[in-house]
Amino acid sequence: MSRDTNETAEFLGPEDEGLLQELRAAVRRFDPPPDSVLEVARASLTWRTIDAELAALEFDSAVDVAATAVRSSEGPRLLTFAAPGLSIEVEVSPIGPRRQLVGQLVPAQAARIDVRHAGGVTTVRADQLGRFGADAISAGPVSLRCHFGDAPSSPPVVTEWIPL
Amino acid sequence: MGASIDVRDLARAAAAGDQHGWDGLVERFGELVWSTIRAYGLSPGDGADAAQTTWLLLAEQLGHLEAQHERLGVWLAATARRESLRLLGAARIATAAPNSAPATEPVAGAAAAQGREALLWRVVRELPEHCRRLLRVLLTVPPPSHEEVSAALDLPIAGIAAAQAACLQDFRHRMSNFSIRAELEDS
Repeated sequence: MSRDTNETAEFLGPEDEGLLQELRAAVRRFDPPPDSVLEVARASLTWRTIDAELAALEFDSAVDVAATAVRSSEGPRLLTFAAPGLSIEVEVSPIGPRRQLVGQLVPAQAARIDVRHAGGVTTVRADQLGRFGADAISAGPVSLRCHFGDAPSSPPVVTEWIPL
Repeated sequence: MGASIDVRDLARAAAAGDQHGWDGLVERFGELVWSTIRAYGLSPGDGADAAQTTWLLLAEQLGHLEAQHERLGVWLAATARRESLRLLGAARIATAAPNSAPATEPVAGAAAAQGREALLWRVVRELPEHCRRLLRVLLTVPPPSHEEVSAALDLPIAGIAAAQAACLQDFRHRMSNFSIRAELEDS
């Protein structure tokens, strides 16, 4: 941090520090983080899943579509998450202010899936072919937590939070 | 204000599930996350989503980030940046796209607001985009390290001090023009 200060001191004079202080005050007055945002941030700790395997986002059609590709404005959004030994594919369709999810576990297997979203937790089941669906998911950050059988050797898998 | 608060202690406690430690992290870095998001011009609604996702990601991954507890601000700034870009990208593609124009951040009562702070804020918002973004992140409390600024805005660390000085000079120039105009209008 002191290296930053030395570098900055090369370029800024003492009157700049006074101006910066005023500007900081102006920013805090006119554009602070809303209380609601900080409250939600504090509440985030309770959403964490202990001892779960993280499935990272590998593909998001909303982001990864090539610039020149024709974007189908009616098509669902496609997401793929990956953890060691497991892929989770999800199609997301907006239905008004909610989201409908249609998913596939690869390799195919049954599971209990907790869909965590702004409206709470919606639990659904993936069948033997790994297929699952969830309706009426609130828009906003969503994460899936998948539980496989009762074997203690298979920890739950949790997808990283994605805003839908 | 605890300048000596050790982020590593907060992070370790939070990773063990301590709400108090976690609240400490939110207090320490809440402004940095918000500043980064607003620097990208996200609306308050999208901004709230990006902030929420950023903190949820930290909660989920804190246990896996032990090596980075010292540099949590950098991780949060980079994550806030990534989530902001994700929402900006999605907004461009979505059919019912929310307002994706660069934010003229809505300021309560700005039109009628008097006072130097209101003027300062207005001039900041009128800066060219690269300066507006840089200052928006730099004006976080506590002041971010250059590494955190670099992560938030994807800028090389080496140029930040010089860019800051140049933007402040531009700011001053605009302020003096503005003050002159305001005086003329008032008279």
